[in-house]
Amino acid sequence: MITGECAVIRTAEMDDATALKAAYDVPLPRSCLLDQRRELLTPTVDELRQTLGRQEVGQSLLYTIEDREGRVRGFCSLRGVNQEVSYTEFVMVLIDEEDYDTPLADEVFEFLSRRAFVEMGLNKIAAHALDEEATVRAYLLRHGFTSDGVQREVIYAGGRWHDLEALSLFAKSTPYASPKAADAPQPRREAPCQ
Amino acid sequence: MPVKTSVFIRRAERDDLDTVVAWMEDPDFVRFLYGDPARSPKQIRERIVSMLGRSAVQAIPGGLYLVIDSVDYGPVGLLSLQNISWRNRACCLDMFVGHEKLRGHLASAVAFYCAMEYCFHELNLHRITAYIYSFNEASWQVLEKAAAVRELVLREHVARDGQLYDMYGYGLLRSEYEAECRKHPRFVEGLMESMIEEQAKALEARQAESGQ
Repeated sequence: MITGECAVIRTAEMDDATALKAAYDVPLPRSCLLDQRRELLTPTVDELRQTLGRQEVGQSLLYTIEDREGRVRGFCSLRGVNQEVSYTEFVMVLIDEEDYDTPLADEVFEFLSRRAFVEMGLNKIAAHALDEEATVRAYLLRHGFTSDGVQREVIYAGGRWHDLEALSLFAKSTPYASPKAADAPQPRREAPCQ
Repeated sequence: MPVKTSVFIRRAERDDLDTVVAWMEDPDFVRFLYGDPARSPKQIRERIVSMLGRSAVQAIPGGLYLVIDSVDYGPVGLLSLQNISWRNRACCLDMFVGHEKLRGHLASAVAFYCAMEYCFHELNLHRITAYIYSFNEASWQVLEKAAAVRELVLREHVARDGQLYDMYGYGLLRSEYEAECRKHPRFVEGLMESMIEEQAKALEARQAESGQ
Protein backbone atom coordinates (compact mmCIF):
# COMPACT_ATOMS: atom_id res chain seq x y z
CA MET A 1 0.00 0.00 0.00
CA ILE A 2 1.29 3.44 -0.95
CA THR A 3 0.22 6.20 1.36
CA GLY A 4 0.60 9.68 -0.02
CA GLU A 5 -0.44 13.04 1.34
CA CYS A 6 -3.84 12.82 -0.33
CA ALA A 7 -4.16 9.35 -1.84
CA VAL A 8 -3.81 5.78 -0.69
CA ILE A 9 -3.02 3.39 -3.54
CA ARG A 10 -3.41 -0.34 -3.04
CA THR A 11 -4.08 -3.39 -5.20
CA ALA A 12 -7.76 -3.73 -6.05
CA GLU A 13 -9.75 -6.41 -4.29
CA MET A 14 -12.99 -8.23 -4.99
CA ASP A 15 -14.80 -5.96 -2.56
CA ASP A 16 -14.00 -2.97 -4.80
CA ALA A 17 -16.34 -4.31 -7.50
CA THR A 18 -19.24 -2.02 -6.59
CA ALA A 19 -17.02 1.07 -6.70
CA LEU A 20 -15.52 -0.05 -10.02
CA LYS A 21 -19.02 -0.53 -11.42
CA ALA A 22 -19.69 3.14 -10.67
CA ALA A 23 -16.86 4.05 -13.04
CA TYR A 24 -18.63 2.19 -15.86
CA ASP A 25 -22.05 3.66 -15.09
CA VAL A 26 -21.59 6.98 -16.85
CA PRO A 27 -23.59 8.35 -19.79
CA LEU A 28 -20.60 8.63 -22.13
CA PRO A 29 -17.80 6.10 -22.54
CA ARG A 30 -14.44 6.55 -20.86
CA SER A 31 -11.45 5.85 -23.04
CA CYS A 32 -9.64 3.81 -20.40
CA LEU A 33 -12.57 1.43 -20.00
CA LEU A 34 -12.80 0.51 -23.67
CA ASP A 35 -11.71 -2.96 -24.73
CA GLN A 36 -9.31 -3.91 -27.51
CA ARG A 37 -12.03 -3.30 -30.11
CA ARG A 38 -12.69 0.13 -28.58
CA GLU A 39 -16.06 -1.05 -27.35
CA LEU A 40 -17.48 -0.05 -24.02
CA LEU A 41 -18.02 -3.00 -21.74
CA THR A 42 -21.00 -3.13 -19.43
CA PRO A 43 -19.97 -5.63 -16.79
CA THR A 44 -22.11 -6.59 -13.83
CA VAL A 45 -20.85 -6.28 -10.28
CA ASP A 46 -20.51 -10.09 -10.16
CA GLU A 47 -18.35 -10.12 -13.30
CA LEU A 48 -16.15 -7.39 -11.89
CA ARG A 49 -15.81 -9.33 -8.62
CA GLN A 50 -14.65 -12.37 -10.59
CA THR A 51 -12.18 -10.29 -12.62
CA LEU A 52 -10.74 -8.66 -9.53
CA GLY A 53 -10.48 -12.06 -7.84
CA ARG A 54 -8.43 -13.38 -10.76
CA GLN A 55 -5.67 -10.78 -10.53
CA GLU A 56 -2.31 -12.48 -10.41
CA VAL A 57 1.12 -11.25 -9.52
CA GLY A 58 3.04 -10.39 -12.68
CA GLN A 59 -0.05 -9.27 -14.60
CA SER A 60 -0.95 -5.64 -15.18
CA LEU A 61 -2.31 -5.08 -11.70
CA LEU A 62 -5.29 -2.86 -11.10
CA TYR A 63 -4.90 -0.50 -8.15
CA THR A 64 -7.63 1.13 -6.12
CA ILE A 65 -7.25 4.82 -5.32
CA GLU A 66 -8.65 5.89 -1.98
CA ASP A 67 -8.57 9.22 -0.23
CA ARG A 68 -7.13 9.48 3.26
CA GLU A 69 -10.59 8.89 4.72
CA GLY A 70 -10.80 5.48 3.03
CA ARG A 71 -13.33 6.41 0.30
CA VAL A 72 -12.68 4.82 -3.09
CA ARG A 73 -12.06 7.64 -5.58
CA GLY A 74 -10.94 5.61 -8.59
CA PHE A 75 -8.66 3.00 -10.13
CA CYS A 76 -5.38 2.95 -11.97
CA SER A 77 -3.08 0.55 -13.78
CA LEU A 78 -0.23 0.17 -16.22
CA ARG A 79 -1.83 -1.94 -18.93
CA GLY A 80 -0.17 -4.13 -21.54
CA VAL A 81 3.46 -3.63 -20.58
CA ASN A 82 5.51 -4.27 -23.70
CA GLN A 83 9.08 -4.95 -22.61
CA GLU A 84 10.32 -5.44 -26.19
CA VAL A 85 9.62 -1.84 -27.13
CA SER A 86 9.61 -0.58 -23.60
CA TYR A 87 6.21 1.04 -23.25
CA THR A 88 2.96 0.62 -21.39
CA GLU A 89 -0.47 2.19 -21.27
CA PHE A 90 -1.31 4.63 -18.49
CA VAL A 91 -4.79 3.95 -17.18
CA MET A 92 -6.51 6.04 -14.55
CA VAL A 93 -10.24 6.37 -13.99
CA LEU A 94 -11.57 8.65 -11.29
CA ILE A 95 -15.22 8.21 -10.44
CA ASP A 96 -15.79 11.93 -9.92
CA GLU A 97 -14.56 13.93 -12.91
CA GLU A 98 -13.66 16.90 -10.73
CA ASP A 99 -10.95 14.81 -9.07
CA TYR A 100 -8.73 14.99 -12.17
CA ASP A 101 -7.71 18.49 -11.18
CA THR A 102 -6.67 17.68 -7.62
CA PRO A 103 -3.44 16.77 -5.81
CA LEU A 104 -4.88 13.27 -5.38
CA ALA A 105 -4.77 12.77 -9.16
CA ASP A 106 -1.25 14.22 -9.24
CA GLU A 107 -0.13 11.65 -6.69
CA VAL A 108 -1.53 8.86 -8.88
CA PHE A 109 0.45 10.22 -11.82
CA GLU A 110 3.63 10.25 -9.72
CA PHE A 111 2.99 6.68 -8.59
CA LEU A 112 2.37 5.29 -12.08
CA SER A 113 5.07 7.26 -13.87
CA ARG A 114 7.67 6.36 -11.26
CA ARG A 115 6.64 2.73 -11.53
CA ALA A 116 6.90 2.78 -15.32
CA PHE A 117 10.06 4.80 -15.77
CA VAL A 118 12.08 3.99 -12.66
CA GLU A 119 11.01 0.58 -11.38
CA MET A 120 10.25 -0.98 -14.78
CA GLY A 121 12.76 1.09 -16.75
CA LEU A 122 10.33 1.75 -19.60
CA ASN A 123 10.85 4.35 -22.31
CA LYS A 124 7.32 5.54 -22.93
CA ILE A 125 3.80 5.55 -21.53
CA ALA A 126 0.81 5.90 -23.79
CA ALA A 127 -2.67 7.17 -22.94
CA HIS A 128 -5.95 7.95 -24.70
CA ALA A 129 -8.67 10.56 -24.40
CA LEU A 130 -12.04 10.70 -26.11
CA ASP A 131 -13.21 13.96 -27.65
CA GLU A 132 -15.54 14.60 -24.71
CA GLU A 133 -12.96 13.81 -22.03
CA ALA A 134 -11.61 17.34 -21.79
CA THR A 135 -10.63 16.97 -18.14
CA VAL A 136 -8.69 13.74 -18.82
CA ARG A 137 -6.90 15.39 -21.73
CA ALA A 138 -6.05 18.48 -19.67
CA TYR A 139 -4.73 16.23 -16.89
CA LEU A 140 -2.48 14.32 -19.31
CA LEU A 141 -1.17 17.51 -20.95
CA ARG A 142 -0.49 19.04 -17.53
CA HIS A 143 1.74 16.07 -16.78
CA GLY A 144 3.78 16.36 -19.94
CA PHE A 145 1.94 14.06 -22.37
CA THR A 146 1.94 15.20 -25.98
CA SER A 147 -0.50 14.29 -28.72
CA ASP A 148 0.30 11.55 -31.26
CA GLY A 149 -2.84 12.30 -33.27
CA VAL A 150 -6.57 11.66 -33.37
CA GLN A 151 -8.41 8.65 -34.73
CA ARG A 152 -11.59 9.93 -36.29
CA GLU A 153 -15.05 8.44 -35.75
CA VAL A 154 -13.66 5.35 -34.11
CA ILE A 155 -16.30 4.87 -31.39
CA TYR A 156 -20.07 4.99 -31.62
CA ALA A 157 -21.87 5.89 -28.41
CA GLY A 158 -24.74 8.09 -27.31
CA GLY A 159 -26.06 8.33 -30.86
CA ARG A 160 -22.94 9.74 -32.48
CA TRP A 161 -19.37 9.06 -33.52
CA HIS A 162 -16.49 9.95 -31.24
CA ASP A 163 -12.83 10.67 -31.97
CA LEU A 164 -10.06 9.17 -29.88
CA GLU A 165 -6.77 10.97 -29.26
CA ALA A 166 -3.56 9.08 -28.55
CA LEU A 167 -0.98 10.73 -26.30
CA SER A 168 2.41 9.69 -25.04
CA LEU A 169 5.02 10.65 -22.50
CA PHE A 170 8.68 9.69 -22.82
CA ALA A 171 11.00 9.02 -19.90
CA LYS A 172 13.47 11.55 -21.36
CA SER A 173 10.97 14.36 -20.85
CA THR A 174 10.39 13.59 -17.18
CA PRO A 175 12.50 14.11 -14.04
CA TYR A 176 13.15 10.35 -14.19
CA ALA A 177 15.38 10.64 -17.25
CA SER A 178 18.66 10.63 -15.34
CA PRO A 179 20.25 7.32 -14.35
CA LYS A 180 20.03 8.36 -10.71
CA ALA A 181 16.29 8.91 -10.98
CA ALA A 182 15.55 5.97 -8.71
CA ASP A 183 17.32 7.74 -5.88
CA ALA A 184 15.73 11.11 -6.55
CA PRO A 185 13.16 12.38 -4.09
CA GLN A 186 9.59 12.32 -5.34
CA PRO A 187 8.38 15.70 -6.64
CA ARG A 188 6.83 17.90 -3.97
CA ARG A 189 3.21 18.87 -4.22
CA GLU A 190 2.27 22.41 -3.51
CA ALA A 191 -1.51 22.28 -3.30
CA PRO A 192 -3.08 20.79 -0.19
CA CYS A 193 -5.46 17.80 -0.40
CA GLN A 194 -9.09 18.62 -0.88
CA MET B 1 -10.07 2.73 -68.72
CA PRO B 2 -11.30 -0.20 -66.57
CA VAL B 3 -8.55 -2.22 -64.93
CA LYS B 4 -8.47 -5.99 -65.39
CA THR B 5 -6.92 -8.08 -62.69
CA SER B 6 -6.45 -11.74 -61.94
CA VAL B 7 -6.36 -11.07 -58.18
CA PHE B 8 -9.31 -11.76 -55.88
CA ILE B 9 -9.85 -12.40 -52.19
CA ARG B 10 -11.59 -15.36 -50.55
CA ARG B 11 -12.02 -16.85 -47.08
CA ALA B 12 -8.98 -18.81 -45.90
CA GLU B 13 -9.50 -22.59 -45.99
CA ARG B 14 -7.79 -25.42 -44.12
CA ASP B 15 -6.07 -26.30 -47.39
CA ASP B 16 -4.27 -22.96 -47.19
CA LEU B 17 -2.59 -23.93 -43.93
CA ASP B 18 0.83 -24.93 -45.31
CA THR B 19 1.00 -21.82 -47.49
CA VAL B 20 0.05 -19.51 -44.63
CA VAL B 21 2.56 -21.18 -42.25
CA ALA B 22 5.29 -20.64 -44.85
CA TRP B 23 4.36 -16.94 -45.14
CA MET B 24 4.33 -16.47 -41.39
CA GLU B 25 7.79 -18.06 -41.14
CA ASP B 26 9.10 -15.58 -43.68
CA PRO B 27 11.40 -13.10 -41.84
CA ASP B 28 9.70 -10.28 -43.73
CA PHE B 29 6.37 -11.22 -42.14
CA VAL B 30 7.85 -10.72 -38.67
CA ARG B 31 9.65 -7.55 -39.73
CA PHE B 32 6.69 -5.83 -41.36
CA LEU B 33 3.85 -7.24 -39.27
CA TYR B 34 4.31 -9.17 -36.04
CA GLY B 35 5.44 -12.43 -34.48
CA ASP B 36 8.43 -13.83 -32.72
CA PRO B 37 11.19 -15.12 -35.05
CA ALA B 38 11.90 -17.88 -32.54
CA ARG B 39 8.40 -19.37 -32.78
CA SER B 40 8.36 -22.98 -33.88
CA PRO B 41 6.43 -23.95 -37.05
CA LYS B 42 4.19 -26.06 -34.79
CA GLN B 43 3.20 -23.01 -32.74
CA ILE B 44 2.53 -21.00 -35.90
CA ARG B 45 0.42 -23.85 -37.25
CA GLU B 46 -1.58 -24.08 -34.02
CA ARG B 47 -2.17 -20.35 -34.06
CA ILE B 48 -3.41 -20.39 -37.63
CA VAL B 49 -5.67 -23.36 -36.99
CA SER B 50 -7.21 -21.50 -34.07
CA MET B 51 -7.56 -18.36 -36.22
CA LEU B 52 -9.32 -20.27 -38.98
CA GLY B 53 -11.50 -22.05 -36.43
CA ARG B 54 -12.50 -18.79 -34.76
CA SER B 55 -13.71 -17.16 -37.92
CA ALA B 56 -15.55 -20.18 -39.29
CA VAL B 57 -19.30 -19.83 -39.82
CA GLN B 58 -19.83 -17.62 -36.80
CA ALA B 59 -22.63 -15.14 -37.38
CA ILE B 60 -20.62 -12.30 -35.85
CA PRO B 61 -16.91 -13.14 -35.96
CA GLY B 62 -14.40 -10.88 -34.26
CA GLY B 63 -11.79 -11.54 -36.93
CA LEU B 64 -11.72 -12.65 -40.56
CA TYR B 65 -8.83 -14.18 -42.45
CA LEU B 66 -8.82 -13.84 -46.19
CA VAL B 67 -6.43 -15.20 -48.77
CA ILE B 68 -5.41 -13.01 -51.67
CA ASP B 69 -5.60 -15.42 -54.57
CA SER B 70 -4.78 -15.18 -58.24
CA VAL B 71 -5.51 -17.31 -61.28
CA ASP B 72 -2.02 -16.66 -62.57
CA TYR B 73 0.02 -17.16 -59.39
CA GLY B 74 -2.18 -19.10 -56.94
CA PRO B 75 -2.42 -17.82 -53.35
CA VAL B 76 -0.30 -14.65 -53.11
CA GLY B 77 -0.97 -13.24 -49.66
CA LEU B 78 -2.93 -12.96 -46.49
CA LEU B 79 -5.40 -10.31 -45.41
CA SER B 80 -6.68 -10.21 -41.89
CA LEU B 81 -9.45 -8.09 -40.46
CA GLN B 82 -8.88 -7.96 -36.71
CA ASN B 83 -10.80 -6.55 -33.78
CA ILE B 84 -13.95 -6.20 -35.81
CA SER B 85 -16.36 -4.13 -33.75
CA TRP B 86 -19.94 -4.47 -34.90
CA ARG B 87 -20.97 -1.72 -32.53
CA ASN B 88 -18.42 0.78 -33.85
CA ARG B 89 -18.55 -0.76 -37.35
CA ALA B 90 -14.77 -0.71 -37.48
CA CYS B 91 -11.90 -3.12 -37.96
CA CYS B 92 -8.14 -3.23 -38.09
CA LEU B 93 -6.60 -4.43 -41.34
CA ASP B 94 -3.30 -6.28 -41.85
CA MET B 95 -2.03 -7.42 -45.21
CA PHE B 96 0.96 -9.51 -46.23
CA VAL B 97 1.95 -10.37 -49.79
CA GLY B 98 3.76 -13.67 -49.39
CA HIS B 99 4.56 -14.05 -53.06
CA GLU B 100 7.86 -12.16 -53.13
CA LYS B 101 7.74 -11.22 -56.80
CA LEU B 102 4.40 -9.51 -56.33
CA ARG B 103 5.43 -7.22 -53.48
CA GLY B 104 5.22 -3.61 -54.52
CA HIS B 105 3.34 -4.85 -57.57
CA LEU B 106 -0.15 -3.74 -58.59
CA ALA B 107 -1.40 -6.92 -56.89
CA SER B 108 -0.90 -5.36 -53.44
CA ALA B 109 -2.91 -2.29 -54.34
CA VAL B 110 -5.62 -4.40 -55.95
CA ALA B 111 -5.83 -6.63 -52.88
CA PHE B 112 -6.18 -3.58 -50.69
CA TYR B 113 -8.99 -2.21 -52.88
CA CYS B 114 -10.68 -5.62 -52.66
CA ALA B 115 -10.41 -5.49 -48.88
CA MET B 116 -11.94 -2.02 -48.76
CA GLU B 117 -14.79 -3.10 -51.01
CA TYR B 118 -15.40 -6.10 -48.79
CA CYS B 119 -15.26 -4.10 -45.54
CA PHE B 120 -17.49 -1.25 -46.64
CA HIS B 121 -19.93 -2.86 -49.04
CA GLU B 122 -20.23 -6.40 -47.67
CA LEU B 123 -19.57 -6.05 -43.95
CA ASN B 124 -21.16 -2.57 -43.87
CA LEU B 125 -18.31 -1.15 -41.81
CA HIS B 126 -17.86 2.56 -41.18
CA ARG B 127 -14.11 2.67 -40.75
CA ILE B 128 -10.90 0.74 -41.44
CA THR B 129 -7.81 1.23 -39.30
CA ALA B 130 -4.33 0.08 -40.33
CA TYR B 131 -1.09 0.34 -38.40
CA ILE B 132 2.09 0.41 -40.49
CA TYR B 133 5.69 0.83 -39.45
CA SER B 134 7.38 3.98 -40.71
CA PHE B 135 10.03 1.98 -42.60
CA ASN B 136 7.38 0.12 -44.62
CA GLU B 137 7.00 2.95 -47.09
CA ALA B 138 5.55 0.86 -49.92
CA SER B 139 2.59 -0.13 -47.76
CA TRP B 140 1.72 3.24 -46.37
CA GLN B 141 1.96 4.74 -49.85
CA VAL B 142 -0.73 2.31 -51.03
CA LEU B 143 -2.94 3.45 -48.16
CA GLU B 144 -2.38 7.12 -48.88
CA LYS B 145 -3.19 6.59 -52.56
CA ALA B 146 -6.44 5.01 -51.44
CA ALA B 147 -7.34 8.22 -49.54
CA ALA B 148 -6.58 6.82 -46.07
CA VAL B 149 -5.52 9.52 -43.62
CA ARG B 150 -2.42 9.26 -41.45
CA GLU B 151 -4.06 9.99 -38.11
CA LEU B 152 -1.41 8.83 -35.67
CA VAL B 153 2.34 8.95 -35.47
CA LEU B 154 3.24 6.72 -32.54
CA ARG B 155 6.82 7.66 -31.84
CA GLU B 156 9.45 5.01 -31.06
CA HIS B 157 6.77 2.37 -30.97
CA VAL B 158 8.32 -0.69 -32.56
CA ALA B 159 11.76 -2.26 -32.20
CA ARG B 160 13.53 -3.76 -35.19
CA ASP B 161 17.22 -4.59 -35.51
CA GLY B 162 17.95 -2.94 -32.17
CA GLN B 163 16.39 0.34 -33.18
CA LEU B 164 13.10 2.00 -32.30
CA TYR B 165 10.87 3.12 -35.17
CA ASP B 166 7.66 5.11 -35.39
CA MET B 167 4.40 3.44 -36.22
CA TYR B 168 1.73 5.18 -38.29
CA GLY B 169 -1.96 4.76 -37.66
CA TYR B 170 -4.14 5.20 -40.76
CA GLY B 171 -7.89 5.61 -40.84
CA LEU B 172 -10.21 5.37 -43.80
CA LEU B 173 -13.88 6.26 -43.42
CA ARG B 174 -16.55 4.84 -45.64
CA SER B 175 -17.46 8.32 -46.88
CA GLU B 176 -13.84 8.88 -47.96
CA TYR B 177 -13.73 5.52 -49.74
CA GLU B 178 -16.97 6.29 -51.56
CA ALA B 179 -15.71 9.72 -52.58
CA GLU B 180 -12.63 7.98 -54.02
CA CYS B 181 -14.85 5.53 -55.90
CA ARG B 182 -16.82 8.43 -57.39
CA LYS B 183 -13.56 9.99 -58.54
CA HIS B 184 -12.42 6.80 -60.29
CA PRO B 185 -15.63 4.91 -61.11
CA ARG B 186 -14.33 2.95 -64.06
CA PHE B 187 -11.26 1.79 -62.19
CA VAL B 188 -13.31 0.41 -59.31
CA GLU B 189 -16.08 -1.08 -61.47
CA GLY B 190 -13.56 -2.76 -63.74
CA LEU B 191 -11.66 -4.11 -60.78
CA MET B 192 -14.69 -5.63 -59.14
CA GLU B 193 -16.04 -7.16 -62.35
CA SER B 194 -12.74 -8.76 -63.22
CA MET B 195 -12.31 -10.02 -59.64
CA ILE B 196 -15.62 -11.83 -59.78
CA GLU B 197 -14.79 -13.30 -63.18
CA GLU B 198 -11.36 -14.46 -62.01
CA GLN B 199 -12.74 -15.98 -58.82
CA ALA B 200 -15.25 -18.00 -60.84
CA LYS B 201 -12.50 -19.11 -63.23
CA ALA B 202 -10.21 -20.17 -60.39
CA LEU B 203 -12.99 -22.09 -58.69
CA GLU B 204 -13.81 -23.92 -61.93
CA ALA B 205 -10.15 -24.74 -62.52
CA ARG B 206 -9.70 -26.09 -59.00
CA GLN B 207 -12.89 -28.12 -59.17
CA ALA B 208 -11.71 -29.64 -62.45
CA GLU B 209 -8.32 -30.36 -60.89
CA SER B 210 -9.77 -32.08 -57.81
CA GLY B 211 -12.14 -34.10 -60.05
CA GLN B 212 -9.24 -35.59 -61.98
